[in-house]
Amino acid sequence: MSSKESCKSELRTAIHQLSDRGLYSASKWAAEQLVGIEQDPAKFTPSNTRFQRGSSSIRRRFRTNEITSTPIAGVSYVSTPVMEEDEVVVGDFYLLAKSYFDCREYRRASHVLRDQTGKKSVFLRCYALYLAGEKRKEEEMIELEGPLGKSDAVNRELVSLERELSTLRKNGTIDPFGLYLYGLVLKEKGSETLARTVLVESVNSYPWNWNAWSELQSLCTTVDTLNSLNLNNHWMKDFFLASAYQELRMHNESLAKYECLQGTFGFSNYIQAQIAKARYSLREFEQVEAIFEELLRNDPFRVEDMDMYSNVLYSKECFSALSFLAHRVFQTDKYRPESCCIIGNYYSLKGQHEKSVVYFRRALKLNKNYLSAWTLMGHEFVEMKNIPAAVDAYRRAVDINPCDYRAWYGLGQTYEMMGMPYYALHYFRKSVFLQPSDYRVWIAMAQCYETDQLLMLEEADKCYRRAVKCDDREAIALHRLAKLQCELGRRDEAAYYYKKDLERMEAEEREGPNMVEALLYLAKYYKAEKRFEESEAYCTRLLDYTGPEKETAKSLLRGMRTSQSSFPSMDVEHFAP
Amino acid sequence: MAGIVKPPGAFAITPHKVSVCILLQIYVPSSQMSVPFPFSSVAQHNRLGLFLLALTKSCDDIFEPKLDELICQLREVCGSSNLWFIDHLTSRLSALSLADDLFNFFTDVRGILGGSEAGVLEDDQFILEPSSNLGMFLRRCILAFNLLSFEGVCHLLTNTGIYYKEALSSCPSYEATCVEDSSINSEAFLEYENMDLENFVFEKVTEEIEARKWASERVPFHLHAPKALFGLVEDIEVASDPRSKHSDKGREVSPYMHPPKDASRDFEPNSGIFLRTNWQIQGYLQEQADAIEKSGSSFSLNAFELILRRLHKLAPELHRVHFLRYLNNLYHDDYLAALENLHRYFDYSAGTEGIDFVPPASSWNDFGRYEIALLFLGVMHFQFGHPKQALEVLTEAVRVSQQQSNDTSLAYTLAAICNLLSEVGVSSTAGILGSSISPLTCIGISLSAQQQLFVLLRGSLKRAESLNLRRLVASNHLAKAKFDLMHVQRPLLSFGPKASMKLRTCPINVCKELRLCSHLISEFGSESSTMTTDGAFSTAWLKNLQKPLGSMVLSQDVGSGSNTNAFQFCAQPSSIPRSVLQLIGSSYLLRATTWEIYGSAPLARINALVYATCFTDALSSSDAALAYVKLIQHLAVFRGYKEAFAALKIAEEKFLSLSRSRILLLKLQLLHEHTLHRGHLKLAQKVCDELGVLASSVPGVDMELKTEASLRHVRTLLAANQFSEAAAVAHSLFCMCYQFNLQVENATVLLLLAEIHKRSGNAVLGLPYALASLSFCQSFNLDLLKASATLTLAELWLSLGSNHAKRAISLVHGAFPMILGHGGLELRARAYIAEAKCYLSDPSFSVAENSEVVLDPLRQASVELQVLEYHELAAEAFYLMSIVYHKLGQLEEREEAAASFKKHIMALENPQGEEDPLYNML
Repeated sequence: MSSKESCKSELRTAIHQLSDRGLYSASKWAAEQLVGIEQDPAKFTPSNTRFQRGSSSIRRRFRTNEITSTPIAGVSYVSTPVMEEDEVVVGDFYLLAKSYFDCREYRRASHVLRDQTGKKSVFLRCYALYLAGEKRKEEEMIELEGPLGKSDAVNRELVSLERELSTLRKNGTIDPFGLYLYGLVLKEKGSETLARTVLVESVNSYPWNWNAWSELQSLCTTVDTLNSLNLNNHWMKDFFLASAYQELRMHNESLAKYECLQGTFGFSNYIQAQIAKARYSLREFEQVEAIFEELLRNDPFRVEDMDMYSNVLYSKECFSALSFLAHRVFQTDKYRPESCCIIGNYYSLKGQHEKSVVYFRRALKLNKNYLSAWTLMGHEFVEMKNIPAAVDAYRRAVDINPCDYRAWYGLGQTYEMMGMPYYALHYFRKSVFLQPSDYRVWIAMAQCYETDQLLMLEEADKCYRRAVKCDDREAIALHRLAKLQCELGRRDEAAYYYKKDLERMEAEEREGPNMVEALLYLAKYYKAEKRFEESEAYCTRLLDYTGPEKETAKSLLRGMRTSQSSFPSMDVEHFAP
Repeated sequence: MAGIVKPPGAFAITPHKVSVCILLQIYVPSSQMSVPFPFSSVAQHNRLGLFLLALTKSCDDIFEPKLDELICQLREVCGSSNLWFIDHLTSRLSALSLADDLFNFFTDVRGILGGSEAGVLEDDQFILEPSSNLGMFLRRCILAFNLLSFEGVCHLLTNTGIYYKEALSSCPSYEATCVEDSSINSEAFLEYENMDLENFVFEKVTEEIEARKWASERVPFHLHAPKALFGLVEDIEVASDPRSKHSDKGREVSPYMHPPKDASRDFEPNSGIFLRTNWQIQGYLQEQADAIEKSGSSFSLNAFELILRRLHKLAPELHRVHFLRYLNNLYHDDYLAALENLHRYFDYSAGTEGIDFVPPASSWNDFGRYEIALLFLGVMHFQFGHPKQALEVLTEAVRVSQQQSNDTSLAYTLAAICNLLSEVGVSSTAGILGSSISPLTCIGISLSAQQQLFVLLRGSLKRAESLNLRRLVASNHLAKAKFDLMHVQRPLLSFGPKASMKLRTCPINVCKELRLCSHLISEFGSESSTMTTDGAFSTAWLKNLQKPLGSMVLSQDVGSGSNTNAFQFCAQPSSIPRSVLQLIGSSYLLRATTWEIYGSAPLARINALVYATCFTDALSSSDAALAYVKLIQHLAVFRGYKEAFAALKIAEEKFLSLSRSRILLLKLQLLHEHTLHRGHLKLAQKVCDELGVLASSVPGVDMELKTEASLRHVRTLLAANQFSEAAAVAHSLFCMCYQFNLQVENATVLLLLAEIHKRSGNAVLGLPYALASLSFCQSFNLDLLKASATLTLAELWLSLGSNHAKRAISLVHGAFPMILGHGGLELRARAYIAEAKCYLSDPSFSVAENSEVVLDPLRQASVELQVLEYHELAAEAFYLMSIVYHKLGQLEEREEAAASFKKHIMALENPQGEEDPLYNML
């Protein structure tokens, strides 16, 4: 496909340009996408074939529809990177500065470039200065930590950078990279609107800088701001939109975009991981697991996003797989927040909560705003019965991102545990507002309403109904709902829900006390309704179980037989004379 | 991090504290004279000491003062020799250019501390007692410095440099321009200055290094330190070339110094500002909390929110900020934000931070104190007028408190429930209050709401007494008094033959409870927190330095005078905590209400006056408004509307910001009365409707307001002669009062019903109502209302025919002492007219013989009614007068009275309508 070829050549140039400027993560991203483009069959190398065979199975499994359209490549965009022209011969100073930069001696690098005027040099100087300031800021954050957690360290280079870059922009001598840096500085300073404008300018003139896109995405906190952006129609925009949708919790839209992108970037690990993320949010764990298995096969030393995989493994209780994963990430890079999180998950699954907390703490030390670590640590504290610590951890998660419904749910659960159901309801309400499709929250709410202290059964009833509607996978809601109807004296409805529950259990081939209870209720109910045949059927099924219910069923049967036999006999007596 | 509560007292060393240390060094000099060198007198020396003490204690802001502010204050304090002090301070500060200087400085400072190990002390040597306040401060500073890492010392050094430079750059004009409002120009100006300084400082540093190098060559074993420093300084210079250094570093400081006002972010972290010590900030927050509660919604929402946000940013672990935010939102009626912040506060603090009534010694378990969160949530719901939610939350609070065996919290929760039940009309508590609260419900006896309240009140009081919570005891006594005032006590359980019981309220009980409440003032001592009073004291002292008086006092060198004067500045260092004052104040307010109900106008007025004059400083503005309302109402009843409206205007100015307040209510009440009397029925109805709208729509909430509105509605209808409508409304009102146990109001409603029947000509129907009202009045000791009911009864008898005139007149005479002693203008006038009418209709009475007996009351009545502009009754009085004059044959007087009669009738029939000034008041 020609568009694929053009994508490739665009990306190849972009990778060079990006790494020339020290934008390593963007160039890494671009390179990943470059390799992710489907190879021409003619050019297969053995490693490629292995690579391709690996991912085909997933694609077969999960790509439901064939790609309907190739991404709209370069509709309005003409790719002529003009940046190369101003420094045809790369200056010696630049080379020195770049090598300093690569050695992370940022201040030295910027000093070397102090008199250079080429755009590339100017950018590298500014960028190095910015990074130097960031580095210093991080150090100061630890140095300055006051008794009350004061954290007002700032990047001291921002002011001078802003002045310089804004003059450059006014003069019109700024290149897209400079614009990106300017946007970064503005965002840090808090002038978000201008930052957005500048970043849009940057990505419109040079779309392959993923860093710029992701900065832009972090500035789009609502759908309206996202829609108001004036972006050129480039294939990079699709990547951007997909990731922005995901952040805005529009998982289905995001999934659609990614699946569409997979048409071109069929082997992109990045896209696969993002799809996994979206599916994880939609709670499709099976598929997520398959995707991650695939990902790990192709890219065994990947650490990014692996914490999500560990969550999936945790919830499926795969001890060995989780330990394997933990071991591998530990060996790859133990000081990554994701690695710590995975190890924490492993210990948690093992029931060693203290150790697990140690690792979550470490993850948070590495990244104070690591949302899921706060929430997971809260779970651990709950297990350890350290209530104040759990509440504190959840609350921090919520304050970092008020849309984290899991943390709200955790808060609610904690308060419920303390016997404060009314107080807990506040948190459950928050949680359910953010994620109305999660049956667990509805059930939790219903349980709060059902407690002896509150006894607001009508409300509980409503919540259970919502839970049932949300396709409750563990089938708790149906059973509870049936029970509640029974308590409320609505016998018909109770029977209806018991029956539904029974059908479901039959379909899923589950057994257990719930089954017995449902059978017993139905048997009694039909007997009372004088539908003896049905009642008998349930009773006979009950006879398969041991326990007191068996005896009850027997006596029920006996009772029915006698009454049935007595009826005709009565009739006989009646009509005999 | 999570779950770890940091020790609260952590202390960081800042440039400001360095300055204070320098001053301390001056304060404690090494010389051995009785008046040390820079001071001209002992008084001046003492004054500096006081100043330093105040600096370490004051809690007027979250930030430490900047150097120029400090210099300003120093100038006030040190009087004539201030230049020397300021010079010394600034030169010492500017001399701190190397980390080593700081080390040396703190080693020097240690010398002024006397220690036990110092041993031999010469007699007249000045030393700082290590355990004194200042000594503690100094020790903490030294300790904090010693704990600093090298990076920390470097930061301190840079910050001191900025602190010093900033003051210097704004020094020439610091009096004229506030540092806050820097325009672009001044910013540029600053920058320019900073650049110069930069050069200056760096030159100086290099000079010094040269000098030290030179010195170190001679002292080889000190070589390592200067070298390291030299390397450090060189490193800085290498990092940025001279050109960019100037342009960058200059900017680096100035824009961050002055938070840009236009930017969307209101706050830029600033290296020049430092938080005060935790203790001072807590004190500040406490003060602010008091201020919010005191002034209610007149407290500026946004300004304070800004400060809190800033504080939160600088000290994210200080969770009390969230509580202050909650309070701020609560008093500005922002339900959602208040709820959010309340939850956030308790999530973070687990109820263990900063709550006053948690005794610090009590065993703090790991569980936290979430029951307090419930208590607060309940109170919040109550404030917002959600009685049902409040009751549910408080019930949960009771349960959790019991589980956690937190008796203190339980006592407070019970008190809150009592408060809720007495304020809000709850017709039945069955099913809401769990059995855990009152022991009686477990036996299965259902109690009426008021019985339950009674049981709760008694339980709560007992609990509070046993826990020795003085304030709670006092407020419980108040609640009890309120209950005794409004309810007849019946035995809760009556078995067997009914014991004879007196179905009356007991004023003695009320009085007893009120007295018991006031005992509090002698017993509060153990509970007050010294932190705030002390801090407030220091703050007041510092604030008063700015007054010109301060320097005047100092310039005179009277040794003894200046010390006492210094204390004079403080706004009476009242050692009584505000909460105690508030309780005592409300006891006076309750007394006023009690006398009002019992019908003693002068006593009610005196109590309200006592309240308004003695407690205004300490009280919340809504309570103060209530006292004003009572006084103005008194004015209206006894002096007529003109004076009342004049007073209202003053009150309105005083309580400007209280929307939906009692003042507004009062205005509407006065307007309604006035319009009713003048006969502007349309306007009266409008006012009445507006009154009704003020009440919340939730059943059971704002009962007082609702009854008031419907009472006035009935009276308007009555004035419009729509008897059946009026009777219907009055009936429904009676039902409502009965449902919510508002007995006192019931007496009024019954009287009103009697009045309706009287006016409609059904005197026979009116009689039972009047009698019922009388019996209500008797059992609740409502003496004035009883007199008024007696009057109505007399009027009813009179309208039954002239043969009942004797009975009527004896009734009127019976009520006269009460009416003349305590009744308002209207009531008195009515009584006079009734008396006159009785005489006139009495066949055995001859006008000619005893004309003055009739004329005198009529004249009195007409005067009083004219003050009130009560046209209808005034017309009646004049009518009667003219008849009497006619009978007496005094034609001239007759014509005069008839003319007045005509005037009033005209005014009544043609209300002035739109151009009436009353319209403009709405």
